[in-house]
Amino acid sequence: MKKIFQPFATINRQTILTMVAMQVVITLMLWHTLCTGLIPKPTKVAAAFVQLLGSKLLLDNILVSLLLTLKAMLYSIIITLLFAYLSVLPFFKSVAQFIVKCRYLTLTGLIFIFTLLTNDGSGLKLSLLVFGIVPFFVTSFLAVIVQIDQQEYELCKTLGYNNWQTLYEVIIIGKADQVFEILRQNFAISWLMITMVEGLSMSEGGIGTLLIKYNKYNDLTNVLALQLVIFIIGLLFDYLLGAVRQWLFPYSRLKKAKAL
Amino acid sequence: MTEHVKAEVVLQATNLQLTYDRPILRDINFCIRNIVRPGLSQGQVVSLVGRSGIGKTQLIKIVSGLQQPTAGRVTIYNNKPVKAGDMGVIFQNYYLFEWRTVYQSLMLAAKKNSKLFAMEKQIIEQYAEQFQLTGHLNLYPQQLSGGQRQRVSIIQQLLKGSDFILLDEPFSGLDVCMLDKAVALLQQVSLSDELKTLIIVSHDIETSVAISDTVYILGAEPGKAGATIKKEIDLIERDLAWVKDIRREKRFLETIEEIKREL
Repeated sequence: MKKIFQPFATINRQTILTMVAMQVVITLMLWHTLCTGLIPKPTKVAAAFVQLLGSKLLLDNILVSLLLTLKAMLYSIIITLLFAYLSVLPFFKSVAQFIVKCRYLTLTGLIFIFTLLTNDGSGLKLSLLVFGIVPFFVTSFLAVIVQIDQQEYELCKTLGYNNWQTLYEVIIIGKADQVFEILRQNFAISWLMITMVEGLSMSEGGIGTLLIKYNKYNDLTNVLALQLVIFIIGLLFDYLLGAVRQWLFPYSRLKKAKAL
Repeated sequence: MTEHVKAEVVLQATNLQLTYDRPILRDINFCIRNIVRPGLSQGQVVSLVGRSGIGKTQLIKIVSGLQQPTAGRVTIYNNKPVKAGDMGVIFQNYYLFEWRTVYQSLMLAAKKNSKLFAMEKQIIEQYAEQFQLTGHLNLYPQQLSGGQRQRVSIIQQLLKGSDFILLDEPFSGLDVCMLDKAVALLQQVSLSDELKTLIIVSHDIETSVAISDTVYILGAEPGKAGATIKKEIDLIERDLAWVKDIRREKRFLETIEEIKREL
């Protein structure tokens, strides 16, 4: 018991599970006891959550949002890889650096421009999402490239690789697992943005649209229930991408253990 | 003295200098010749010894062509300037691509050697058996012990087919049993070809000297900034090369003391 308050202490799985369960129970109890007025009690949110799960409305909207997110992720990763790989060429380095700095641009200020550039609401949402995601993807991937151990390049040189072969081996093949990790980490960003961009064109639906509707009618119970759904889907995707990464790149989870 | 002939120059370092914000290396000159022993096919083993932090790793990088010196040049065979890839380098921590299995890493090197065309798989299996790695070919580097990594690194450079193999601190971090195995391994490599030249950079003087034919002492001289080669010791002349259990000999211990005094 003392261990859980000791710095860097290692605790077993059973203790972790018990500890987390207790923390959740305490949080729910505090929420139940302290909330008054407009904030709904956890039991009410849980009931709304169960009701939402059983509704076709939620399923349809989740599918719309997931499809849009996955599409945006796909485009973003293609653009990111293209510019990140090209960033090792001096000509493209500045372009990649500019994309990184685009993190500081707000999407709201670009809505009108993107509206003019795209044909419909669907295109607008997709382009805004891609524009929002790419700078974060590129930032993460460039950080991976910068942190590459010099010995990786030197080993390539001693093996007689030219610069293009080194690029292929060290960055494209060698960092493929990191691309997946970046994808996993940045999925949260795209999932965060989806609710925002869906509010721009509500005709196609989506969980963002649903959230805005509930907010509009001050239906805080359903807002929180929907937040719970969004949170759980995010966690599921996080787990799924992590599992796929380990399956595709088994070395990413290997510990430095002695082979028998 | 063991019968031998020092034939053609295989490697020459001339007036090497390396300066960053201060001189690191200066006036480095040495020459490695092909040592021919009648009835034997044996390569050269040269040791470069010096204190930690004196610039040994920098020198190995320059000699291997991985780093350009501030001045001077390194040439191999017929005055050909050395370039990265001409020499195999085994780094201090036996670096291997973490995303490649042992087999894949070895195959990458074998594919670079045109002499092994269409025989890569067979040769890899032969080496793996010879170096006791057959059961480890499908493992990733993270799953290997230090000794296994070392052997994979050495096979990788052997497969690549370079005549020169540079080893940066090959004995550091090895326990007593592994140290003996590493020494035996290097001797095995040096015997694999007449032109095979091993350049060992180490601060483990005893082990390095015990397997070498020539020792270069890298050190600083009073009043001069930067390290240089202070002394060359021809171990063949002293009858200290290629002798089994040489470490027990008095003349070996005297040479070690002499080297220590120079450092």
